[in-house]
Amino acid sequence: MSTENFQRGRLGRLRLHVLPTKRFKTFALSLFVGIPLTESRVTPVALTPFVLRRGTASYPETISFRERLDDLYGAGFGFDIYKRGDFQIVQFKLDIINDRFVSSRQPLLKEAVDFLGEVLTSPALEEGRFRSRYVEAEKTTVRKRIEAIVNDKIRYAAERCVEEMCKDEPYRLPALGRKDDLDGLDAEKLYEAYRNWLNDAVLDLYVSGDTTLEEVEPLAEAAFKLSGGSPSSYAPPRLRKARNEPQTVVERLDVGQGKLNMGLTTGISFGDERYPALLMYNGLLGAFPHSKLFVNVREKASLAYYASSRLDGHKGLLTIQSGIEIGNYEKAVGIIREQLASMRRGEIGEADLLRTKAMLANQLRELQDSAFERISFDFNNVLAGTDRNGDSLLEELEAVTPERVAEVAQSVELDTIYFLRDRKGGSGDGD
Amino acid sequence: MATKRYDKLQETLYYEKLDNGLDVFVLPKPGFTKTYATFTTRYGSIDNRFRPAGGEEIRVPDGIAHFLEHKMFEEPEGDIFATFASQGASANAFTSFDRTVYLFSATRNIEANLATLLDFVQNPYFTDANVEKEKGIIVQEINMYRDNPDWRVYYGLIEALYSVHPVHIDIAGTEQSVRSITKEMLYDCYRTFYHPSNMTLFVVGGVDGEATLELVKANQAAKTFPEAGPVERIFEEEPLQVREKRKEIRLPVSLPKCLFGYKEEPAPRDGSGAIRRELVTRLMFDILLGPSSSLYQELYEANLISDGFGYEFNTGSGYSFSVIGGDTRDPDALVAKVTAALEEAAQKGVAEAEFERARRKRIGAYLRMLNSPEAIANEFTRYRLNGGDFFELVGLYESLTPGDVNARLREHVNADRLAVAVVRSDAV
Repeated sequence: MSTENFQRGRLGRLRLHVLPTKRFKTFALSLFVGIPLTESRVTPVALTPFVLRRGTASYPETISFRERLDDLYGAGFGFDIYKRGDFQIVQFKLDIINDRFVSSRQPLLKEAVDFLGEVLTSPALEEGRFRSRYVEAEKTTVRKRIEAIVNDKIRYAAERCVEEMCKDEPYRLPALGRKDDLDGLDAEKLYEAYRNWLNDAVLDLYVSGDTTLEEVEPLAEAAFKLSGGSPSSYAPPRLRKARNEPQTVVERLDVGQGKLNMGLTTGISFGDERYPALLMYNGLLGAFPHSKLFVNVREKASLAYYASSRLDGHKGLLTIQSGIEIGNYEKAVGIIREQLASMRRGEIGEADLLRTKAMLANQLRELQDSAFERISFDFNNVLAGTDRNGDSLLEELEAVTPERVAEVAQSVELDTIYFLRDRKGGSGDGD
Repeated sequence: MATKRYDKLQETLYYEKLDNGLDVFVLPKPGFTKTYATFTTRYGSIDNRFRPAGGEEIRVPDGIAHFLEHKMFEEPEGDIFATFASQGASANAFTSFDRTVYLFSATRNIEANLATLLDFVQNPYFTDANVEKEKGIIVQEINMYRDNPDWRVYYGLIEALYSVHPVHIDIAGTEQSVRSITKEMLYDCYRTFYHPSNMTLFVVGGVDGEATLELVKANQAAKTFPEAGPVERIFEEEPLQVREKRKEIRLPVSLPKCLFGYKEEPAPRDGSGAIRRELVTRLMFDILLGPSSSLYQELYEANLISDGFGYEFNTGSGYSFSVIGGDTRDPDALVAKVTAALEEAAQKGVAEAEFERARRKRIGAYLRMLNSPEAIANEFTRYRLNGGDFFELVGLYESLTPGDVNARLREHVNADRLAVAVVRSDAV
């Protein structure tokens, strides 16, 4: 399946991964910076990329920073902050067109690597620390982002469910940090947190496009000003066990539709040899329109527009989400629990098994056509310390039997039922 | 069959209009694993009044195009998702103001999946029971959007701008309108708008151009369709004035959401006039409101906008309007500052250097988009329905001048045609 493979290298603490390919009209760059998720660091780490995108040593004013991107043929630049296993990862992304398609004299790949290196390691400073003006403005931005999560009820319910499920471990912390911790941060403290972050983090730079490791190495060496040392790597996650009895959490807000979410533990993470069977479990339960949740909650009972499950393979958690009429709470919970029980009983039709395999195989093959998806897939393996690639995972999936799925189903345990409902009526769980 | 070579882009497009009127396009992407196909009918939420060939005028319930889209997936032998899944294809559909699109993406069994796509869309199967069952699902879809403040403020603005044109009606309709839909109405709409001569198939990805066209031809030749008659779509005249200057909606939000925009007369939809206007408008907003504009930075520093601030331009049959805004602590201040800046720019004109930068950025974004089969299929079809060629946008961009932007500013920015929509927790 994979026509091209990643070339690997290292520059001091920075791990390099280069995917030479002529398939795209662009170069795609991703930089992953990860440290363990902790209460004390989650907020400064989340705030850092917001400040870094305000300016660099060469482009200290935000307007000049943005104009620089525009001049690189509107290079796409952005970042994400998320949790993977027990780590908080900041991912910077840059994509830029290959000079071949424009009448440009600039070597665009070099400009792109330079830019990314400068964003991470040479920010705009004043008096040896971040610019106060940027830090204060970005504190406001992050605060608004955190407060805005509740506007999107689907996302809010999903985050609250995980928070309730993991309330006794770092994974409860939101990737964007905590509002109350923002107040205590200023330009000096944040700069110190940034320096420590840079010194402690696991660093992976990915480049995909019509290039080679040989070409990228000197560019990255010139662009990234990092302290010496050798690369560190990611530790496997702690997998939690479900509560003896599932907890039910009901929250009330001004909503019209109820959001029903469930959190389950699986005891299996990305690196586990049972992971392919768990992927099949999730596919059969709720990842597709032919899955049990969609068919039974939506198509048969007409209770919902969406009803699905999602696997967080890095933390070994499975979540279920649906939007329902508030009065249908008991009915929906009953139908969903019945699907979980049916999976435990190994009620897996041959046709559904084949469909699920075909769909998962399709997803794996499709991601070959997106540079960023190939990068993310590879990074997931690097993070989990597995040497899977698309081909080997396909083979493993192909070999999964209904018995293996049923076996995995025995280790999937319901932990938390979270229901977001209106403020009116009812005393507890739906009425 | 014809082929068109776009040398600069290194792309070759295969095209044929079949005997039954279906437009078929194939864009082979050598080296791509995936194939993506869209089957589009020029029929969307705005087509709610029409006279079918030789028939009486019909006014159908709001949300019926979207309802029809949902119902197409059901076949006598069951849910078509299961068939696609067996063939390893991920299928979906969406309804917009002026089109309904059925699609799949797959890496294997492309022939079978293409046949499934054509066959299920060309085989309506509606019963009283299956129509009734869908209502519960769609009502939950409507309720989901009702709780979504971004959706509410967006529709709030269109409702403030338009009083007659059906663009202001929610694509999914209301619970009441959806409950009134019957299978007979669905068949009426289907017969009127799903004739091959009203549809376009676009296939892009790891396929052979010629072989794919032949396959589609054979599939269509094996089916019979009634003669296509002219369909008359009826739109009442929309006044140029906005319906309300300001609309407030109450919903719990962390900060008010504010969108505003200008309504204008739609461009003639033949030739490249509408496309040119769209491109010029995008450049205009990029220059004046984009993240590298001085206004953006000023608003950001004043804590009047955050990252979600943006703009778009929406145009189609009988409507044309801009949408500007985002979350803000002070909607009135935001509207005042942005409109003042736009009015000033309409007087003074834009700088040549800023125009060049914006154009370069747009061309870059366009070329990056050509990596994505999904974007190619959807954008190509959209431009085609508007009378343009998606693969010739670079040339069009290159032909524009700062003078075009300045003229466009004077045309579009008109304080009398401005409406504002606000979602806030404390609205009355």
